[in-house]
Amino acid sequence: MSMKITHEIKESTIIITLDGELDASSSVILDEELSDPEIMKYSKILVDCKNLHYISSAGLGVFISHLQRFEDAQIKLIFFNMQDKVRNVFEILGLDLLMTIVSNYEEALTIADE
Amino acid sequence: MANEQKFFLPYILLKLQARHKLPQSNKSTGFRFMLYRTNARSLLVTVAIISWSLLLANVLLSAETMRQPGAVKLALPYVDNILTVIFILSVFFYQRLSTENLKGIDFIGYLWNLFSKAGIAAYLSIALILGYRMITSYANLQSPLLLHIVYQVNFGLLVLFLAKAFYIWQKLLLYHKNRFLQIAWDWYELLLFSTLLLTLLNFNYTSYVFLPLLALLGFYTLFLCTNLKWVAFLTFNKKSRSLVLIGAILVSCYIFIRFFHQFADSPDLVIDYSDVAFLLLAMLFVGLYTLAAFLVSLFSLPTSSVFEQKSEDLLNFQRLSQSIQQGQSEPQVYNMLFESTIRASDASAAWFELYKGTDPQVSHLLTIKNEQIERIRHLLMAYNIQNIDYINNNLDRNPGFRDLTLPWKSLIILPIKSKQHQFGVLYLLKDIEQGFDRETVNVLRTFTNQTILTIENLRLVAESLQNERYKEELKIASTVQENLIPKTFPSDSWFEISTHSKAAKEVGGDFYDFLQLSESRIAIIIGDVSGKGISAAFHMAQMKGIFHGLMQQDMAPSEFMKQANSALSRCLEKTSFITSALYIIDYRMKGFMFARAGHCHTLYYNAMMEDTFYFQTEGLGLGIIRDKSYNNHVREMYYDYNPGDVMVIYTDGIVEARNDKSDEYGEDRLRYMLTQTYHLEAEDIKCAIINDLEDFTGTGSLYDDQTLLVIKFKATQPNE
Repeated sequence: MSMKITHEIKESTIIITLDGELDASSSVILDEELSDPEIMKYSKILVDCKNLHYISSAGLGVFISHLQRFEDAQIKLIFFNMQDKVRNVFEILGLDLLMTIVSNYEEALTIADE
Repeated sequence: MANEQKFFLPYILLKLQARHKLPQSNKSTGFRFMLYRTNARSLLVTVAIISWSLLLANVLLSAETMRQPGAVKLALPYVDNILTVIFILSVFFYQRLSTENLKGIDFIGYLWNLFSKAGIAAYLSIALILGYRMITSYANLQSPLLLHIVYQVNFGLLVLFLAKAFYIWQKLLLYHKNRFLQIAWDWYELLLFSTLLLTLLNFNYTSYVFLPLLALLGFYTLFLCTNLKWVAFLTFNKKSRSLVLIGAILVSCYIFIRFFHQFADSPDLVIDYSDVAFLLLAMLFVGLYTLAAFLVSLFSLPTSSVFEQKSEDLLNFQRLSQSIQQGQSEPQVYNMLFESTIRASDASAAWFELYKGTDPQVSHLLTIKNEQIERIRHLLMAYNIQNIDYINNNLDRNPGFRDLTLPWKSLIILPIKSKQHQFGVLYLLKDIEQGFDRETVNVLRTFTNQTILTIENLRLVAESLQNERYKEELKIASTVQENLIPKTFPSDSWFEISTHSKAAKEVGGDFYDFLQLSESRIAIIIGDVSGKGISAAFHMAQMKGIFHGLMQQDMAPSEFMKQANSALSRCLEKTSFITSALYIIDYRMKGFMFARAGHCHTLYYNAMMEDTFYFQTEGLGLGIIRDKSYNNHVREMYYDYNPGDVMVIYTDGIVEARNDKSDEYGEDRLRYMLTQTYHLEAEDIKCAIINDLEDFTGTGSLYDDQTLLVIKFKATQPNE
């Protein structure tokens, strides 16, 4: 099962949709996506995790490694529609306190616009 | 006479015995056989000499009787015949025994042996006749005795010559033999020797009864003479040398035939050996075979260079394909290619370009100047055909090549490349038009293909050696890592502990360790480094070092996490992090203190409340926040334990283990397992969980490292 990453742009917001499993091999693609200098043009990055079935430590590592960079550039990184199983992984690691994880898209938009 | 028969018969018997013994020849029979051979040979020589001398004596006697018509006839014709047969047999059997088997393909040596030992006999006989003629004409006297002696000596020489030639030709005839040929030869030999019976019984072979039989034997001989396979193995030079030798042998045959033909039915002689059918047939075989060998050598002379070329090509292919086993390097293979292709195509000029990276470098040159190469290459570049298969058999017709005024008229370009790699390009030039015909091109292509194969195989061999080395090193790393994990925990009566750990790859990222802080306190740590493999193993070793280093100072678990985070921040790569949990158990206080840094929640069974639950504490993984703000993200907890309580510590490889439907094992199932097994010993609880986990996942390969620690607190306290 591989990973499909699509993105949608709405003004200053980029919505990244993750579809599949984020493991060691697919996290490389995600890392490339997030490392793209273009992404720094947006002030909000919303990550749709509706179809993210699994995240490995390598996948988490990708988000962790970009966390500081986005924070410094004052770019908001918001996860939404996260499955319980995946959310649990974030929570165990303590990432729910560092990252913004909300239940749905509307909520994500409201928080992003704050 | 009777004496000789006695000598002779035991020999036949011995020979028969030896033949029977030979197949089961062990060392001693082989040795005995050799000894017997030497004995038999000297016996045969003696028999030959005696029979010949007796024959001579008898012949002289009868000659003398013939001269004096009045005298009584002493000599009997049967005696002559028997002696003749005995002499012929002993000489032939001697040669049969002493002719060596063919060794290798040194046919010239063989022919030389034939000429020097047998052919010379003919020239001796010529000298003898000339001597006799000179004496008789000089002294002007007719001496029948002398004539008989000369005739008798010539007979001896003829038999020697025939015997030697017969068995040497036999060996050559049977070169590359098959079963049929061997049988055919054995029968021929038998039939030939059986014609001696005619002489023995004094039959006239020219009678109508025997003539058809003899004619048939003649055809048989003709058929045998077509077996000349050895000639094909002679090179041009060797063929011309063998022609001289065979020619000389042919002349010997002619001398003998002429001599005995001359004296056939001579009234001066009492004996006529041309009546011996055996000699006639043996001479027929030797003469015919010699003639056939001569003619075949002569007519195969013009084609021998083609065979030489083919066999050389074959040899070169062999050398190329064997170069891997011989541990040859790539340059040696290219040398071989360059030399072999030039020889195979008879090219007048050539060069080879080796690709190092993407730039071609001229590595081999043959009678061509660098400047000429440069010009040709420029032209090819202009035509854009520098790296492809290209044949031009008439360069003059092409205006571009004509302008270069090269001394060559044909060009072939052979790239040495596989699907992935370009190794080099071979250019061959010839000073004639149509220099590279289809046959030559095929041979050249075979050479280049073989070279590509060889080079690729050489690289594969090198690569697999390298892989083998990596595997070996990984094995060492795996052993080192195994040693980093403690095999035994301190066993005490107040708690028992059981551990399980399994790495998904040779080296993993899971670890656990303990440290006795004081008599009543023990620190236990578990951790999981993100990622797998070598880098994870390095970080794991680092974490172990940090644990032992920091815990020497006996600090609280939360303080340890803060300091460990600070230490790891400086050395962990950006995408890596470590989850860990540290427990300090104090049995005197009957409690434990712990902190969790992003690690899986601790599963706990409380015996007092008979309840199973996970400790829900906050705590961020190590290496995620790499500044002081981490200190706000780690919490510490203290818990009093009761005897019978069970603590299950594990890594995510356990709860995230998946079955073939991609379902995870999960925290709930783990907790359920503990509710079912908490009453067991720690070891049994662990086994129950692992068995259940394996039932769940099946026997597939491991996706993640799995580590599980089960600690059970007990009622009895030590030292109390």
